[in-house]
Parts: sequence; structure tokens; C-alpha cells
Amino acid sequence: MKDWSLKWMMFCLLCFLPIAMYLHLMAGQIEISFASFFDSFWNYDAKNTAHVLVREFRIPRLAMALFAGAGLSLSGMLMQTLFKNPLAGPYVLGINSGASLLIALSLMTSIRFFQSNFGLIGTALIGAFTAGLLMMAVAQRLKSQISLLLVGLMFGSFTSAIVSILESFAGAESLKSYTMWSMGSLQQVEFGQLGFISLIFLVGIAASFLLVKPLNMLVIGEKSAALLGLPIKSIRMFVLMLTALFAGLITAFCGPIAFVGIAIPNLTRILFQTSNHRYLIIGNCFIGAIFLLLTDAFIQVLEDQFSIPLNAITSIIGAPFVVFLLMRKLR
Amino acid sequence: MIQLQELHIGYQRELLRTEHLFLAAGKVYALVGRNGIGKSTLIQTMAGLQKQLAGEITINGQSVSSLNPQEIAETISLVDTRFEGVEFLKVKDYLALGRAPYTDLFGRLGVKDWQMVESVASDLSIIHLLDKFTDEISDGERQLCAVGRAFVQETPVILLDEPTAFLDYINRKKLLALLKLLSAEKNKCIVLSTHDLDLCLDHSIPFLLAAHGEIRIHASLSKEEIIQAMS
Repeated sequence: MKDWSLKWMMFCLLCFLPIAMYLHLMAGQIEISFASFFDSFWNYDAKNTAHVLVREFRIPRLAMALFAGAGLSLSGMLMQTLFKNPLAGPYVLGINSGASLLIALSLMTSIRFFQSNFGLIGTALIGAFTAGLLMMAVAQRLKSQISLLLVGLMFGSFTSAIVSILESFAGAESLKSYTMWSMGSLQQVEFGQLGFISLIFLVGIAASFLLVKPLNMLVIGEKSAALLGLPIKSIRMFVLMLTALFAGLITAFCGPIAFVGIAIPNLTRILFQTSNHRYLIIGNCFIGAIFLLLTDAFIQVLEDQFSIPLNAITSIIGAPFVVFLLMRKLR
Repeated sequence: MIQLQELHIGYQRELLRTEHLFLAAGKVYALVGRNGIGKSTLIQTMAGLQKQLAGEITINGQSVSSLNPQEIAETISLVDTRFEGVEFLKVKDYLALGRAPYTDLFGRLGVKDWQMVESVASDLSIIHLLDKFTDEISDGERQLCAVGRAFVQETPVILLDEPTAFLDYINRKKLLALLKLLSAEKNKCIVLSTHDLDLCLDHSIPFLLAAHGEIRIHASLSKEEIIQAMS
């Protein structure tokens, strides 16, 4: 693939993103005129239902679809390059499980610290990062790509077992809030939180551009990269922290969203036909965001008849795709 | 250039030791010895990837274990026995990774870097591979690419672990001739491990003979003498 066709593809994605955003905004059950979208920003009227709807529901949901799609894909890409394994991702490697476990603890136990807003996010991040460290330690001792995934799977089963135990002790109210969270939804963030969340995500995305060179070197293996002057240990930590930041935040705010982190980076690589992370980072952000926008738009369209959990849709699309990848790469 | 000073190498157990050996710049050395004797271990140790049990390796008077990753990258390049190839990684981008120690924070390559890649590719006759993906070429072609990446890195020391293993006869001959030429022209010190005794003898390359737990330099030995020393 020539460079121009890469640029052409990125141009197409750039054009398609606003279309996906528009579809997502318009997919809700109540029709809202385009004008009231602008008014809800510039002439906000708290008594106007359309304004409230846009500001409290549509915009946060749109933003979370953007960020979660881009962030999960990026964290998947980071994991795949770091572990040199196309089947790695925050979900299969148990990064999500680590976050989920601590969130279950915070929602279903009466430990005071967990109850606060900061506590929820903080614990999710700690859970994600700890799980990442654990996987890193295990990966050093494993040779086969498959074994690492199996360990991730076991870790996932282990944490979900603990969660089930917690569930059996939990009261009806906290059980409900945990179950709602675990279905995955982009509608749990309020307008006021968006500034803070966007800031973290934009910093995270900017930080991943600092990793372009190290990631491009890691493609040929840690040992070769080290001999080309890459400080492996600090890069590993940097990559893990960034992954945990994305996966932890998204898990905390939107619940577990499966398969986006493993499927989108592979799709991006296959579409772009490159291993250059300068393009892969951009591609993952766009394709991940577009994918989640369209998926969530679909859910919104059906919402008056059924409310399908986001996690179910991403799994229904993602799982067969991962099987396809397995057949293609590992046979 | 390279000095191995009473070096003891191995893992838990000692595999090989040397007395005081001096490897000169501008020369190619062939590290020979039987399977499992510790050739790869010596190469890994010289590249600073594996700690020696005792003794010291110095390059131009500087101890390898005191070099930081950046200094190592500017001093030593290593060609592994096997490069598996990476999906969607083009040969030219793989070769260009050899410039990594010299590029900026974002790894941007200048015109000079690409010229370097081109000239190395033409030396190794792999120009036609530049736009191919590294996982879609043959094992031998990949091996030439791995050698190319080391050349592109422009280090005074090049270590190669069985670089001829997957090469056909013509490419083996070419590679050895090229290594000799390169070492002489650019005053590099090149060490390759190999089982190709005949080829090294043809090019009168001095041997680093690993046998009976010891490494010695032999400038001129016949094939029979080497085989006898090894067994």
C-alpha cells in the first residue's frame, strides 16, 4: 500500500466521523431539530425539554461513545504491540477484570472510600493497572501467545467468581446498581463531568503519540528494540499506565465493553496495511470512535422497544471477528 | 578494539571462559564450535544482553556493562539467528529501524537515513524486497534483511549469530565477502558464529574456536585441525 492511499483512507475516516456523530445524535427516540443542538450550547434554557435532553443525555452519550471507542481501541493497540500478540487487549488480558473487581467492591460493599466519585474512578484505575502489572509479570514467563490469553481468561474467571460472591452478599439496591453498570452503557456521565473526562482523554491520546517511536521499535521484539537503544523497562511502564488509564476510566464510566479493544486494532492494521504507529494511533481513534458511535446509534434506535446492553452488541459483533482473526493468524 | 579479559560466561553453570583475547578493528572473526557449546551465549554476553559470570568485555577501553542502552545501540549491533518477520512491516521500514539510535523523539527519518537504507539494500542485493512485507519473504531473504538492519545501524562492532544458516550457497559467499569488505573499508570489528568452516577458510577468516570450555583465537588452521580441536 502506498503512502497516498493511507492518507486517502484517513481522509475518508475524517469525513465519516462527523456523519457517524450526526447519526448518533439523531438516533434518539425524540426528534430534535438541528437548531436546538446549537441553542442548547449557546442559549441554554433549562425549561426547554429539547435543550435539557441534548445537554444532559445526547451530548454526554456522544462524547462517551467517541472517547470510549477511541480509548479502548488505543489501549488494545498498545497491549497488542507491547505483548507482540495480535489477540491481546484490555478485555482478554484481564485489565477490565481488574477494574471491574474493584468497582464491584466499591458498589457492593460499604467501605466508605469507595463510595465517592473519586474513589470509584481511582479504584478502577488501580484495578486496571494492577491487572496490567500482573499480566506483564506472567508474560515474562510464557513463550506461547495462547498461554497468555488463557491466563487472562483465568484471571477473568477468578475475578468474576469473587464478584459473584460479593453479589450473593449484596443488598437489592447495590446489586441492581452493579448489574446495571455491568451491562455497559454510555449514558452514565453527566454534562458537568465531560470537561474533566475530555481533558484526560486528550492528554492520553497526545501521550500515545510520544510512544510512536518506541512502539514502532517494539514491533520487532523487546530484545531487538533494547539493542536499538530503547529503555525497555520504563517504556513498558509508560505503555501499561496509558492502557490502564484508558481501560480503567472507560470501565469506570461505561461499564465493561468487550471486544472493541481487541477487534478494532486488528481491523485498523488490516485496513491500513502498515505497522507504523503514527498511522495506527490515528486510525484506531477514528475507527474505534466510529464503530462505537454506530453501535450505540443502533441501540438508541431500538430503545423504545428493547433496551439492549452495549456490551451484548459489541460482543455479538466482536466475538466472531476474533474467531476470524484466530483462523487467519494462528490456525 | 574488543577485549575479552579472562571472561567467564554461562548461566548458572559456566559454559565458556577466555584468557585475554584481543579482537582487532577492521577484521572479521568466525566463532566456531559444536552445538550447545555457548556460541550464542558469548554473542549475547558481548552485546550486553547477558551478564558474564566473571571478567570483563571492553570495547575501545570501555566496559560493555557500563554502557547505557543508547551507547550500546551506537556501539554494537546484533543479528539474531532468526528474524520471524512482522505482519505489515515493510522491509524498508525494518531496515530503517536501524537508524533508531540516531533519530528524534518521533523517529522521523531524514533524506540521509533513507540513502543509508538504499545503499545497504543495494550492497546486499535486496533492493527488490524493499516494498515487500517482512512476513511474506523467504527465511533467507529475511536473514539478509536482518544483516542489513545491522549495517544501517552503523556501529563499530557487529555481532552475527549464525547469519548464514538460511542462506543459499551464493548468498553465503556474497555475505562473507561483503562482511570482509565492510570491516576493512569502515574499520569495523565483526564477529559471526557459523558452522561454515569451508567458506571461512576460503576467505581466510580467523577463527574464534570454542572447544572444551575455552575460546581461543586461531589465525591459520586447516579444516582437519579445527575438527580435531572441536571433538
